[in-house]
Amino acid sequence: MNKESRLKASINQKLTETGERDRLKELLRAKLTECGWKDQMKAQCKEVIKEKGLEHVTVEDLVVEITPKGRALVPDSVKRDLLLRIRAFLTQHAS
Amino acid sequence: MKMEELSVSSLDNSKLEALAQDILSDLVEDACLGLCFEVHRAVKQGYFFLDDTDQESMRDFEIVDQPGLDVFGQVYNQWKNKECVCPNCSRSIAASRFAPHLEKCLGMGRNSSRIANRRIVTGNNTNNKSESDQEDNDDVNDNDWSYGAEKKGDVIFLHLLNSHKGVRCLKTKPD
Repeated sequence: MNKESRLKASINQKLTETGERDRLKELLRAKLTECGWKDQMKAQCKEVIKEKGLEHVTVEDLVVEITPKGRALVPDSVKRDLLLRIRAFLTQHAS
Repeated sequence: MKMEELSVSSLDNSKLEALAQDILSDLVEDACLGLCFEVHRAVKQGYFFLDDTDQESMRDFEIVDQPGLDVFGQVYNQWKNKECVCPNCSRSIAASRFAPHLEKCLGMGRNSSRIANRRIVTGNNTNNKSESDQEDNDDVNDNDWSYGAEKKGDVIFLHLLNSHKGVRCLKTKPD
């Protein structure tokens, strides 16, 4: 287990160092906007805001409500594309 | 002492997949958090609901879907049958043909100089009453091929003939 967590740490470091993590973030954001996920989630946010009140809503409120829904609503195609890219990175950097 | 192998290739497929899923999970979470912060800031700064309009305005500007009208509700082919009088030649022209007619009539626009040039050249060839001097006409006639060959095929054919002059014909070889 220890070896794996160290491996994971070194992979994460490589992701950041090569700039791939930022590229992946941008890619994911673009795809999520494109497929309408962002608009969907914004609508969800509106619900939370109406519930908690415009003046009193906190980041925590939003995070707690939105994150689980957000994860569930990511389309499979987007997940597939990202996974392909990640796997390619992993095999490419098999040191 | 053996160095422990720390490479991705040492992982089997299922573990590789799990690692990829973990990374994806992190990225998705990051995107969600980013959205939350974005929305929260928009709420506190007061611009979150800015793109919503009230119901009444929404109804006023709703998309029109009737035959003969465009999406704004305007009639779009009402100028089809109208006629306009050209200020240059005082002819009555159909509205949809008006702009191209003006281009040629006024001598402005992209093609009018080309058309005028063509007309000058073919004009010189067909009617010999010259607007230019006699000398100029003689010069024109002295050349290898006539300047009146305006058709593209003619120009290309004559050019080929000219360039063929120096080449031996391969078909008829001397014995």
